[in-house]
Amino acid sequence: MTAESARWPAGAISRRHLRSFDGGVGIECEVQCPDRYAFFEPSGTARHAIPRGAGLSYSAASFGADAVSVEIGAFDRILAFEPAVPIVEVEAGITLGALFRFLAAHRLYLPVQPGHGAISIGGCIAADVHGKNQARDGTFINQVEAIRLFHPDHGMVELSRTQNPDVFHATCGGYGLTGVIVVARLRPRPMTGDAVDITTHIVPDALEGARLLRHLARESDFVYSWHDFTRTGRGFGRGYVVAARFVTTDTASRGSSTSMKVPKLSADSPRVPPISALNRWTMPLLNFAYFQAQRRHSSPRRSTLPQSMFPVQGSESYFRLFGPAGFHEYQVILPHDGFAEFLAGVRREIARKGVAVALASAKLFVGAHDLLRFSGEGICFALNIPRNQRSAGFLTALDQMTIGLGGRPNIIKDSRLPRSMLEASFPECDRFRGIVQRWDPSRRFRSELSSRLGL
Amino acid sequence: MTTLIVGASAGVGRALARALATREHRLILVARSRRDLEAEAAHLRLSFGVAVKWIASDAASPQDLLQALAALPNADPPIRNLFFPLGIARADDDGLLPPADAAALLNVNLASVMAVVSTYLPAMLTAGPGNIVGFGSIAAIRGRRANVVYAAAKRGLESYFESLRHRTAESSIRVQFYRLGYVDTQQNIGKKLLLPKASPQWIADQVVRNLDRDSGLRHLPRFWGPVGALLRRLPWTIYRELDF
Repeated sequence: MTAESARWPAGAISRRHLRSFDGGVGIECEVQCPDRYAFFEPSGTARHAIPRGAGLSYSAASFGADAVSVEIGAFDRILAFEPAVPIVEVEAGITLGALFRFLAAHRLYLPVQPGHGAISIGGCIAADVHGKNQARDGTFINQVEAIRLFHPDHGMVELSRTQNPDVFHATCGGYGLTGVIVVARLRPRPMTGDAVDITTHIVPDALEGARLLRHLARESDFVYSWHDFTRTGRGFGRGYVVAARFVTTDTASRGSSTSMKVPKLSADSPRVPPISALNRWTMPLLNFAYFQAQRRHSSPRRSTLPQSMFPVQGSESYFRLFGPAGFHEYQVILPHDGFAEFLAGVRREIARKGVAVALASAKLFVGAHDLLRFSGEGICFALNIPRNQRSAGFLTALDQMTIGLGGRPNIIKDSRLPRSMLEASFPECDRFRGIVQRWDPSRRFRSELSSRLGL
Repeated sequence: MTTLIVGASAGVGRALARALATREHRLILVARSRRDLEAEAAHLRLSFGVAVKWIASDAASPQDLLQALAALPNADPPIRNLFFPLGIARADDDGLLPPADAAALLNVNLASVMAVVSTYLPAMLTAGPGNIVGFGSIAAIRGRRANVVYAAAKRGLESYFESLRHRTAESSIRVQFYRLGYVDTQQNIGKKLLLPKASPQWIADQVVRNLDRDSGLRHLPRFWGPVGALLRRLPWTIYRELDF
């Protein structure tokens, strides 16, 4: 074997144009798709690399111009299961959907998971994602017992709260910069029902929505709000708060979980309209229709577990409607006492910049903030807007408001996020850099995200 | 029923193991890497509830492979299906491979398959219905300056399966052979290919759906049938100019 072939990552490489899910970053990249454990051998020489799960990060976390993207999709197996504890050990390429089907057959589930089953477990750990009730369940790290991480200098290393704890904490929400997560031991929770009862509470604005979130979070399995930010006058921000609870029904409902099909979701959809179908004229109509449809629903209404756990499934075309330029998701955690001011500022900037908001949504967050994770106390607020000439100025204005109010953006949701925003809103970013530097002085892992944010 | 898959840890072999597990086959998986086999076996047991054994052995040595298989306790129920989704190709297989390397290619792609079939066929002939499934390559359609030994081995394999089909024609054993086109595996990563790749899962689904049929040789995907026929009929004066 030559010295060149011994360099990690060794093996066949393809070149692909990879794109962030929000469409903001597209780069011609080198990609490897290992399917055997022999790939994970320590090597004295290594190229820059970055792990890649399902490739669904809104920001360019799994690729970069000078890094080989290591796709771990072939590592999609369930390795061990201890139902009495309960603990499930999986390879990081397994999707949320596949694991959900397996766990549902044992009447278990992961309380923290994002809205689509195509997302990989490795991606969930690397972005430390949140679910539908962060205030009760925390973020993804809360259900991670241990990680087997590969780094070419260290080989396969066990990480947990007691083994290499610094690296464990920097890996959960470390955006792939500590190495390749190969295996994870996760702690699922017993399902307390086999269907979900959803109650919809109509609210006049987002401030009232936040008040209701605080009230409902303790007693709900899922809780979030939706708001119409296309309206003017008194109706601005009207919407509803969705609160859902598990209920026990019959075995037919259980079957829908174990046989759930996961629709394809990709950052590179071939069927995109040539221009954005979501604009200043269509969005008020769509928001109005959506609001009326929700109002007509009986409340509470019964839903299957897959529909409730993965609400984005079946709505994949929503992302395509933004057209080839894509969209922005602006998601921040704001202190409770600054939320009203933030909403007023958003309203002012929408009017000033003529931006059309496709979606506005809120969740309640509690707990302390740590490293680069999207965590802390406050209201998590998200906006979707089309990517166009007006959007850049709008988001810069929102950045200033967020910093001024002591808020914090979600790094994984915004491919545009500037380094200045990270430095101003993540006081522990230097501690993160220090942990990664001590673990990996050669800094083998990098991505567009890490270059942009100076990580 | 018990099914033996040689080459089960990745690509078509791994997809076959999963497709057969959904049909409740008991599985014996054979491949080189212990770590890959352990992981796949655990997944199949937990996800599909099937019994799975595995043997780590390298098909580059038919003797070692047979020795490893001999160490297996008698399968209960007995082995009724043999699948050989294995193959190895080399970028430097240009007609100048050293003899030892060429022999290893022949062993993996041909001799090991023959060795395993000859070991299990006597018992299978008396045990009742079963399947022997081989996997060739479009590289065997017509020899060219690349994949010289590989193509020869795969063409030999085609002949062997044709003989096997003839030999078992009066029995309840079904012998099937698939000439595979481009498959989305490690072997084809980064290559500029003229025609689309098929996924291992799609191949596995087609193969499993076709079990128990006396289908002989088939192309997967099917469009390779006419493509292959065209390639075979191409006049030598034109064929010799092709660089592929």
